[in-house]
Amino acid sequence: MNVLLRRLLGVVPTLAGVVVATFVLTRILPGDPAVFFTSSPSADAATIEAVRQKLGLDQPLWRQFVIYVGALLRGDLGQSITTGQPVLTDLLQRLPASAELTIVAFALAVAVAIPLGVAAALRPGSLVDHLCRLIATAGVSLPTFVTGLLLIYLFYYLAGVAPEPMGRLDPFATAPPRLTGFLLIDALAARNGEVFVSAARQLILPAATMAIFALAPLARMTRAAMIASLGSDFVRTARANGLKWRTIVVTYALRNALLPIITTLGMVFSYMLGANVLVERVFAWPGIGSYALDALIGLDYAPVQGFMLAMAAIFVAINLIVDIAYSIADPRTGLFGHA
Amino acid sequence: MRRRDFMALMGGTAAMGVLPARFGQAQTRAESLRILSEAGPNSLDIIGVGVNRNSIQATWNVYDRLVRFTSKPGPGGTLYYDYFALEGELAERWQVSDDKRSITFHLRRNAVFHDGSPVTAEDVKWSLDRVVSLPVGKPQFATGSMTDPAQFEIIDAHTIKVTTPKPDRLTLPNLALTYPVIYNSKVAKQNATAQDPWAAEWLKSNVAGGGPFKLDSFQPGQSLQLSRNDAWTNGPLPGYRRILWQFVPAAQSRRSSLERGDADIVQDVPPVDAVSLSKDDKLKVVGVPMAGAFQFIGMNNAIKPFDNVKVRQAIAYTLPYKQMFEAALFGRGRPLFGGKPGAPETTEFPQPLGYDTDLDKAKALLAEAGLAGGFETTFTFELSMATIAEPLSLLVQEALGKIGVKVTIVKAPAGQLGTMLQKKEVPFFFEASAAYLADPDYFFRIFYHGPTRWNFGSYSNAEFAGLVDKTRYEPDQAVYEKDVRRMIHLAKDEVPIILLWQPTLDTGMQKSVDGYKYQFHRQLELRTLKRV
Repeated sequence: MNVLLRRLLGVVPTLAGVVVATFVLTRILPGDPAVFFTSSPSADAATIEAVRQKLGLDQPLWRQFVIYVGALLRGDLGQSITTGQPVLTDLLQRLPASAELTIVAFALAVAVAIPLGVAAALRPGSLVDHLCRLIATAGVSLPTFVTGLLLIYLFYYLAGVAPEPMGRLDPFATAPPRLTGFLLIDALAARNGEVFVSAARQLILPAATMAIFALAPLARMTRAAMIASLGSDFVRTARANGLKWRTIVVTYALRNALLPIITTLGMVFSYMLGANVLVERVFAWPGIGSYALDALIGLDYAPVQGFMLAMAAIFVAINLIVDIAYSIADPRTGLFGHA
Repeated sequence: MRRRDFMALMGGTAAMGVLPARFGQAQTRAESLRILSEAGPNSLDIIGVGVNRNSIQATWNVYDRLVRFTSKPGPGGTLYYDYFALEGELAERWQVSDDKRSITFHLRRNAVFHDGSPVTAEDVKWSLDRVVSLPVGKPQFATGSMTDPAQFEIIDAHTIKVTTPKPDRLTLPNLALTYPVIYNSKVAKQNATAQDPWAAEWLKSNVAGGGPFKLDSFQPGQSLQLSRNDAWTNGPLPGYRRILWQFVPAAQSRRSSLERGDADIVQDVPPVDAVSLSKDDKLKVVGVPMAGAFQFIGMNNAIKPFDNVKVRQAIAYTLPYKQMFEAALFGRGRPLFGGKPGAPETTEFPQPLGYDTDLDKAKALLAEAGLAGGFETTFTFELSMATIAEPLSLLVQEALGKIGVKVTIVKAPAGQLGTMLQKKEVPFFFEASAAYLADPDYFFRIFYHGPTRWNFGSYSNAEFAGLVDKTRYEPDQAVYEKDVRRMIHLAKDEVPIILLWQPTLDTGMQKSVDGYKYQFHRQLELRTLKRV
């Protein structure tokens, strides 16, 4: 457990670095927020100065940084101008939305990709293998907004079976009392079946869109790792010893193929969480991706910094989980000593 | 809890989660209006730093002003605001003094705020004081000669007088714009603090007004719900009882919802969709050329070679206007190219500048300017306008190549062209802007005059600048019109910027929605909308 503690302590300098980097990065962006926000044609130079003062951008950079870090330590991420809300409120509201979507999409992708990859590896060159290749190629080469629009067109516009692709809940359903921000969980906690169904229906299309995109790297990586593992000496030995097919594939081959798969899983998950802007846009999903993009376009520094910080923290957490998962899959690489 | 009350009223909620919850099945369909727009408000206080245009749509409908623009028939039979004819909203009537320096407003006796308290002169004064006391509000009111709270004087509980140092024709229209909303000052003051005497923090997310609609709920980034204020007596009662306004970033999603009949009104319809949607028999697309708005090619008159009027004219004769209009806007707009050169026929501005594509003339002008061999320059546009500017800039590049001008296209990241223009460092660019007030001298004062970035051409001409100053307080209408005609003549001859067109504001709606009124701020006016 000492090792785990040391790993956690190692996070501190990483996050400190991120704080400095995000601050500097947003400051070197070209574009003057004071000019940008003084958008009324009747404004003159004095108004721009007044706005600059109000935004605190008239202070020297080091003072702005000190103020920023001071506020951070108090848990204050600043105020967003594009939404008019405190950044922390925004993030707490939107992070669960993105996380819920990502987790469902991720589970969907894993549930399809790993069996598909394993099946393809067991019979290279077969129909299943070609199917796997086709799905992977299509998933990766279709941009998510195209997949999203295609699904909307088929299931909402033509067939009418999917709900309107707008937001997390039917516009006339009442949101359940907020516990976690995950609507599915909150609806269950409130024992509200209707809201659960409504939220799940809204979730299907965007989650499927993201899953199709995430399928490709997972399926391909599973296939490659499994082929290597199935061709290795220990599997040949196991076969020669007449072990059961199931034991060979699952216990020996798959477990040994897991390391690269886990790495890919971690990367795909973090990528999905932060980079699903297009899916969020198409489905009017109130997530953090589109939030950060709006802020960036709007020269709104505080949300961009808050977003980067939150994402960095999540990446660090996922890396840690991946490391722990490694040591479960393969004790030799572990954080924990051999038992 | 408000949202729940709303749900209780809606009735039949039980089935909604399970069935495909089509809005059409709701009992109150006839009295509800569902609006989809690209983005939502970022503040419910219209006077603030960085407040977006969607905030106008929210505040416009939950607050009243002293006066409002009346309606006149517009293109396609829709209602169009009449800038030159005002009527009272909270004011029952008003008188202009003989010296034209003060306007006395008599408030409606029966007007009440949402909380039932009467609207008094004190509320009006507090609200107008607020505009001139906030850094963002002051410059706008200054265009109507209002800069100091002392100018707003309470006569009695229902009478208030606005006095200006000189007679100013822009004072009254200024009071009908988006800023001077009338707040319930008692409620607002209760929520003010020593650091924040104008309750700016509180009003960002709360409403203290008396307009035709009340705010039911507001979820930033998602939706906003309004219900009709049935006690509203400052005009005909609006046709819809409930408004559900949702923010949907993707134009395709908004469109498919309208086509499926789930949405009643879809705002921000891109030109290409407007063309195809208007062919759908079940729907209508109201397209109104935006008054005061314009898209243009800017040239920095302060740097070579654009300081030479002949070069500017040469470029104005080179542009392939018709192809640009089709490629960029699919013809959805009012052209500002073409027309007759020379003395103007009306005092309206913007109006066509009198330039058409004429390459021979362009080459001759360039030769006269001593640049027969052409020159090199950059053409900048901002990526947020890429759908229009991308095809347009390619056409500009190709056309100017024909007269020997070599153009490199520069794409500025979103939000950054403003800063570059402020520094006056862009030689040649595409931009768009708009003026709220329709007076031509106001337009010239902002866009053809002074050191700000809004003087897009960095135009400086002593005669023109003199006329801008002279027309500001010109009391004699005939003299004013003569001066304006001269300014328009100069704007046409000297082309500091090349006006291209006024784009159309396209709003898609179900056939059953009636009473759409185009307002100067280009957001929805909910007062006049009804279902037929």
